[in-house]
Amino acid sequence: MSDNMKRRDFLKGAATGVGVGLLGAMGLYSYSPMREGYFPETERKMTDIGTCRSVKVTNISETSWFENGVLMGDIKGAGGLLVNQYDYNWPPFGNGKGLGKGSYDEGIAKIKHLLPNRLEEAWDIIEANSVHPENAGGYAALVEVEEMDGNKRKFLLDVGWSYKWCDECFKREGIDKMLENKEIEALFFSHEHFDHFWGLPVALKYDPEITIYIPEGFYPEGLQYIKDCGHTGKLITVKSGLNKVIPGMASYVFAIPIICRVYGEQSLYFNVADKGLVSVTGCCHQGIIRFAETAYNEIKYENDKCHGIYGGLHISPFDDWDPKYDDLVISLGDYGFERIGCNHCTGVLCAKKFIAAGYPVVEGTAKFRSKDKAYLGNGDTITFG
Amino acid sequence: MERFGEGYLEERKLVKRWSGPVPALVSLVLTLGIFYLTWWIFQDPRGIMRMYTPYVGYMYCRWWLIMMIWMVYIFNFWPFKRKWLETTHPLVKGAILTTISVVILVALIKGFFEGLLGNYGLAYFNPEQLEKLPGVTSFFAIEYSALAVLMFAAIASWLSPAWVVAFEEAPWQKLKQPAKGFSILMLTFFLSTIVYFVTMHPHMGILYHPWQYFTSIAPPYWEQFADTVSGNFHVSWIMCCTVVVWLVETIWERYPFNLIKNDWARRFACFFGIIGIALAMHFFLYFAQELTWGEAIRGTRRAFAPDWRWLHVGEMAIFFLVPALFVTFYCDNWPKKYSMPVNVLLRTVVTLVGAIALYIVYYKTSHMFLGTQKGFSHPQQFPMIPMIWLVNIWLVHHWFMDNWPAWKMVPKTVEEIEADHVAHKAAIEDVRWTPRFGVGLGAGVAMGVIFYFVTVWALPSVYAAVNIIPGK
Repeated sequence: MSDNMKRRDFLKGAATGVGVGLLGAMGLYSYSPMREGYFPETERKMTDIGTCRSVKVTNISETSWFENGVLMGDIKGAGGLLVNQYDYNWPPFGNGKGLGKGSYDEGIAKIKHLLPNRLEEAWDIIEANSVHPENAGGYAALVEVEEMDGNKRKFLLDVGWSYKWCDECFKREGIDKMLENKEIEALFFSHEHFDHFWGLPVALKYDPEITIYIPEGFYPEGLQYIKDCGHTGKLITVKSGLNKVIPGMASYVFAIPIICRVYGEQSLYFNVADKGLVSVTGCCHQGIIRFAETAYNEIKYENDKCHGIYGGLHISPFDDWDPKYDDLVISLGDYGFERIGCNHCTGVLCAKKFIAAGYPVVEGTAKFRSKDKAYLGNGDTITFG
Repeated sequence: MERFGEGYLEERKLVKRWSGPVPALVSLVLTLGIFYLTWWIFQDPRGIMRMYTPYVGYMYCRWWLIMMIWMVYIFNFWPFKRKWLETTHPLVKGAILTTISVVILVALIKGFFEGLLGNYGLAYFNPEQLEKLPGVTSFFAIEYSALAVLMFAAIASWLSPAWVVAFEEAPWQKLKQPAKGFSILMLTFFLSTIVYFVTMHPHMGILYHPWQYFTSIAPPYWEQFADTVSGNFHVSWIMCCTVVVWLVETIWERYPFNLIKNDWARRFACFFGIIGIALAMHFFLYFAQELTWGEAIRGTRRAFAPDWRWLHVGEMAIFFLVPALFVTFYCDNWPKKYSMPVNVLLRTVVTLVGAIALYIVYYKTSHMFLGTQKGFSHPQQFPMIPMIWLVNIWLVHHWFMDNWPAWKMVPKTVEEIEADHVAHKAAIEDVRWTPRFGVGLGAGVAMGVIFYFVTVWALPSVYAAVNIIPGK
């Protein structure tokens, strides 16, 4: 056999062998327990955000929309969950052209001159030009933090969607007066979604100078809307990661894509003295488990314990279901939460599964159009600490 | 004797109209243009029909792929005659065959799945039946139903071509069409049904509340092993099987299984070899995510959830299919000048590089022009849909239209066909056991293992350096 033949045979064998060796290693090693040696030990950052004495959350509104079937019908008709939220032709950006044919520019042009003070007139125009304005509700919560010295500080988390519904809810809970009196020092937006953000003029009607915190990732329409609503205060774009706010309170921005063309979510952490970590969320698109895991890796908190949750946990917002949600129901018990106040996009079905699993769900009163006592409903409060 | 399309793909000679890479580039530009136009019409959430919900669009996309596999690989273009295939203008041929594939597609989904199975067997195949349940909205009824139908498609798109590629149509290879086609169709459909019931039916069973203990196994048997109750664990390896079938058929020329001389040993080795290779991909691509993003955490959402990680394995696998088919369809399976193992290795390297490049470009840019969303793990982010949609366009172009206009189809002469067979046989016989081959094989295995561990070691830092989506 010539050298050339020998070399060719070697190459043929080697080319074949590379595939065999590579695929063999891939198959035998990649999912074996031995692979765990490659996982780095996670070093907890234990960032000190301070402590607070207690946190009280008042649910201004958790009913973002009133009928799932109507909302999902709109979403389906407009092309699904990936359609840009400003294109659905929902209030307040109705242009009169029908479902799926909306645009921010055309919608805002009809009402901009009325914002933020002439909201009733604006809503009349919106009702005439938008798709299903009667279905719009909104999500908003008042967060009261009691500092260690007893001083209480107030923050708004989100402002809802429908001007009409939100103004009614603000008045019901006295938020209008708190804003007028400058008792509420800042407004945190969890994310850009219609049901959390589009009710902004209602807050600005009472306090146009309020400081606003938005998560990194707002689209140009959202940024323009803040201006068009007549905001004159400070606008702070919060970068991804942990951001301390006051002693015992921090926000965390998760860089995640969200349905209806939205990006990024900001949630709140509190370190309550003698109790532990409390998590307050708008929709928690990042997932409650990731939210808790992030806290574990990033923050130092009392007793190293997850104490409570409040808010939308974004599990089955449209009462849809998926086996991955069962993974959550099965796993949540491992985190040891002592008080769970859930509503909004958690899904009533999910809340019931939590209760059936024996989790400490704080049930509500089902008032003001909230549908089920499994939810901490509109007008209900929860206190941690 | 009347001939239909048996052997048509092998016995056609595609002659380039221009020299060098121009035909491939022209075809790429043309097919990407058609892709984008049809994507806008049918799928894009900003477009006309907006089927990318995502499951409805995925269902049609996936079954359309199978329709073409059935028409070409299983039925060999029957009932169209060979002469018609050879003499009809590619545009006319493409229009007629594509229309037929779509008609069968709609009949299958609306008639068989929704109409027959959904009304008389399993309610979840029909959205109208699902909507009768309290609390189920029309949108999710359609999505659940589409999910079930498309999962059947995922399985069928692995098994349908696998019977031709691995089992070489046996034992019906000598039957005439349509008897051969119907025989293979019945068997692969039957196997798909079995695989569906033991992989995806338990997933559908726990979509209901309470879990459907009487009709499906709940919790599913894979829960502990896969760290999730979701059927995405199966989506993962089944997608890998679908991709590996085509790698074996195209850039690997069925190597090394074609070295086995005994017919049935070769067929079984190839069929189960495809599954073995797919499982290797399935586990490695999951591990790759653990290395780059960290360990999965059960119960969480998106990129850290085990169920999404398994789904993403399938998504990553599909990125391998696109460059592999491009190499075969438009680059004449380049290179061909070395021995078969070396050619296979080089094509695999090209495919690997192409897949990684495509993955990076897709996640960096797709949200700017496909109407998808930025990020890896959005629940409605399904790269499988645009990738398979592009593959479908290429199948229409390559199978139905003979790569027109950059290539011209000329039937091979008897001598050319015979020469092809001789050359193919010689290429296989060129690979035989010698002491030097054995030494090379041993050295290659060692290199493969070393390459694996180097990859595992380097992946986290390489991924961090590439930074596909800033902020992630």
